[in-house]
Amino acid sequence: MRPRAPAAIVLAAALACNQGLEPAPVPTSCPAGFVGVCGTVTFRGTEPDSTDGVFIVGYPTFPQSRNDLLAFTPFPPPSSLQRPFTGAQFYTLRIPNGRYEWVVAVWKKTGTFAPNFSNADSLLKEAGFYRDHADTTTHGSGVVVVNSTGTDAIDFVIDFDEMHAISYYFPAPSQP
Amino acid sequence: MKFLGLVGSLIWCQGLAPLAAQEIAVLYGSVRDSSGQPLRAVVSVAGGTQRSAADAQGRYLLRLPPGRQIVRVAHIGFASIIDTVPLAAGDSIARDYTLAAAAVELQPTVVTAAKRSQLLDQAVTSVAVVSDTELARRAVNTVDEAVDKAPGVQFLNGQVNIRGSTGYVQGLGSRVLLLVDGVPANQGDRGGINWDLVPLEEVQRVEVAKGAGSSLYGSSAFGGVVNVITRDIAAGWHARLRASGGAYANPPYEVWRFRDYTGGREGLDVSGSYGTNFVRGSLTAGGWHSDGYREQDRQNHWQAAAKGVWLPRPATRITASGSWASDQYEVPLVWCTRGACDDRGLTYQPFKIATQDTGTFTRSDKGYLTALVERTSSDHLAWQARGSWLRTRFTDLRQGADDFGLANRLGAELRAVSRPTAGRIVTVGAELARSDVRTNIFTGDTSSTDTVVRTHTQAEFAAYGESEQLVGRARITGGARVDYIAVDGGGLSAVVSPRLGGVLTTSRGAWRASLGRGFRAPSLAERFVSTTVPPFRVIPNPNLRPETAWSGELGNATRLASGLHADAAVFWTEAYDLIEPSVNGSAIQFRNVTRARLAGLDVALTAQRLIARLTTSLAYTFLYARALASDSAPGGPLAFRPKHLLTLSADYQWHAASVGGDFRYASRLERVELYPSDDRVAEKVLDLRAGVEQGPLSVRCRLANALNYIYNQVPRTLAPVRTLSVTLTWTY
Repeated sequence: MRPRAPAAIVLAAALACNQGLEPAPVPTSCPAGFVGVCGTVTFRGTEPDSTDGVFIVGYPTFPQSRNDLLAFTPFPPPSSLQRPFTGAQFYTLRIPNGRYEWVVAVWKKTGTFAPNFSNADSLLKEAGFYRDHADTTTHGSGVVVVNSTGTDAIDFVIDFDEMHAISYYFPAPSQP
Repeated sequence: MKFLGLVGSLIWCQGLAPLAAQEIAVLYGSVRDSSGQPLRAVVSVAGGTQRSAADAQGRYLLRLPPGRQIVRVAHIGFASIIDTVPLAAGDSIARDYTLAAAAVELQPTVVTAAKRSQLLDQAVTSVAVVSDTELARRAVNTVDEAVDKAPGVQFLNGQVNIRGSTGYVQGLGSRVLLLVDGVPANQGDRGGINWDLVPLEEVQRVEVAKGAGSSLYGSSAFGGVVNVITRDIAAGWHARLRASGGAYANPPYEVWRFRDYTGGREGLDVSGSYGTNFVRGSLTAGGWHSDGYREQDRQNHWQAAAKGVWLPRPATRITASGSWASDQYEVPLVWCTRGACDDRGLTYQPFKIATQDTGTFTRSDKGYLTALVERTSSDHLAWQARGSWLRTRFTDLRQGADDFGLANRLGAELRAVSRPTAGRIVTVGAELARSDVRTNIFTGDTSSTDTVVRTHTQAEFAAYGESEQLVGRARITGGARVDYIAVDGGGLSAVVSPRLGGVLTTSRGAWRASLGRGFRAPSLAERFVSTTVPPFRVIPNPNLRPETAWSGELGNATRLASGLHADAAVFWTEAYDLIEPSVNGSAIQFRNVTRARLAGLDVALTAQRLIARLTTSLAYTFLYARALASDSAPGGPLAFRPKHLLTLSADYQWHAASVGGDFRYASRLERVELYPSDDRVAEKVLDLRAGVEQGPLSVRCRLANALNYIYNQVPRTLAPVRTLSVTLTWTY
């Protein structure tokens, strides 16, 4: 082996492998290799001043009680949708393969959760969800299936004037 | 040829007449290296007693009996020359020799693996040594930057992993024990490691003992021990000045640009020492400023260290040392994702932070004091006693609420090393430690952390013993340590950590094998942390148990050829009750949850001057790290452990100049926590370096991450970008 060979090997190996992170533009359709759901959300209404963020999550099954409200995916939730919350915006939600009965946008008010989310009623509201066009049920019947690829066109409306607190779906237990 | 003339005159005037009378011949000349520099070599007669040490100009003169003489010319660091010289009675012959540089195959000694000095190839576990030469050659600025390249070692955002021991838990609890001159220095509250506790200028070498070391060191030595050994103080006056400056590369894409200037880093360290045969002392002070390579990443660092040695009797040594460091630094937290800052239409901005994290800042102070008495009472017994005090304080300033912690760790140890009979070495000792923390975040309070301030304590009592017996060509080692731990004055919990090992020297190198137990007591932070990490509440768990492991390895160190060394080891660790953060509803709590297996292979090859002036090394670690659903059922991969870790190094020395580089590859992490769906890539980093030494001055340049490879090791935390640094050192 000639004297410069080892150094040359090191350099060549390094150069050959230089593919680090690169700018990733906000997609307008499901990216190649992506696994999850994508779509466009359209904002309506007036954004409350106390808005902390708007998050999209998926529930494999529609929650049957308050205790099921934490059974969403991904956990912890991804970052908020991008401000400003006006017009329309494309979103991507990385979630594992499976069947999701409820893809929902959650509005969060500024504030910190108390232990066991006991103050979730005052901090979280459902702000919109994916539904089939003909669907008229309370929570929608827009089932989304993810199968090793990006499921596109999961479009829905986020209406700040029509948000629903948790108690809308699951009334708080009556106090003794 | 003036020299020959001079020598000839000398011989003529003073020597020839007696020579003739006594029938004696003279051999004279010079010894130089290949660049012409004189060498103080030793010229000796094979099988005889005659020898001459060359002077500062490389000149030698030997008076020999006539006849054919076989002469050996030797100098450390150079290949010896054997020469046959015919000498006639009364004659004088000139011989000039040029020695070629050669690998110095001295067997290094280590002090960490057995809590006493021993030859490296007699250690029952793998030990990697980072010498001060390597520290200087790499022109690093902190100790962790140099240790990072040791075989089997990887840093994840400042957290050290030895063979995948720790993973990444944001500094809350390290499964590696840090020692400074043998004194435990993990933080009293969080159990983590401050790598800037000791100024780099003070570091003589770093030893990394791999595998469980709890049989001698107790808690935290779960996955290994890193021992930072400070410089000895030489006699006379000495001084050193180290100035460094550098710049961080700007983001490689304009759309990632976050500032309109190039970030820089500059520092200055000054040290001085004076020593006699009885007392010695040194003082180091310095600091540095960094703009950081990303948004909200500026840091100021100030440090001072002192050491005093008193040698009242030849076999007694009393050392007092201390260090203090203060940091004020911005905390970049996680990088900005879509919508959390001005994202410029990108899904994430790796150089920027979320707007809501703006202003996060930490002030951190830490220091230690140590006093050590060492005495060699006889050829059979040596003992030492030490006391130590480690103090850390941090204040996290962030939006909404500030956190603080003030922790102390007081320690004492009494150790004796005895050689009762030939071939037997016995080490025994006892150790005490008391940690306390006063804090508003590690309170153990279950309601709120904003106003509650509490103090917690942890006491540790331990006794240990280990014996080594030479049996033929084998050294058999056995020992154990028992640790008692009490938290807040509560009941004691006991952990016994045995270890068995052996080293067999054969024609195929030294074989080593060991099996030992490691453990780590939960840190006070893990037990009592009580805070909010939106949207979660982190709640305390005072009932955490120590995590334990059985760790074994089988290794071989051998010389494949002159200058070519190989060291290989297979290792296996069965871990129980690993403490991990566990999410339950809106709460995060540290729990003893994980049963895990870490197994793999370490290989290190070092070639010194097989090719003239070139030193190369290769280190590779294969790691199989799996969480287990039960003892027999495999689970998923452990988070933050790369399967492949490869380091290639090459250094070329030409006269006073040198160039070199390291290439590090760590495979893409199979599993990460918090943001598992984020993009992540393998680590492929090339560091280049060059240096020149001329007398007391040296200039070294380092281009870290030369290709400006953009990557992250832990979620949403950008790893360092290309950084150019120039270090000027003056030594007196």
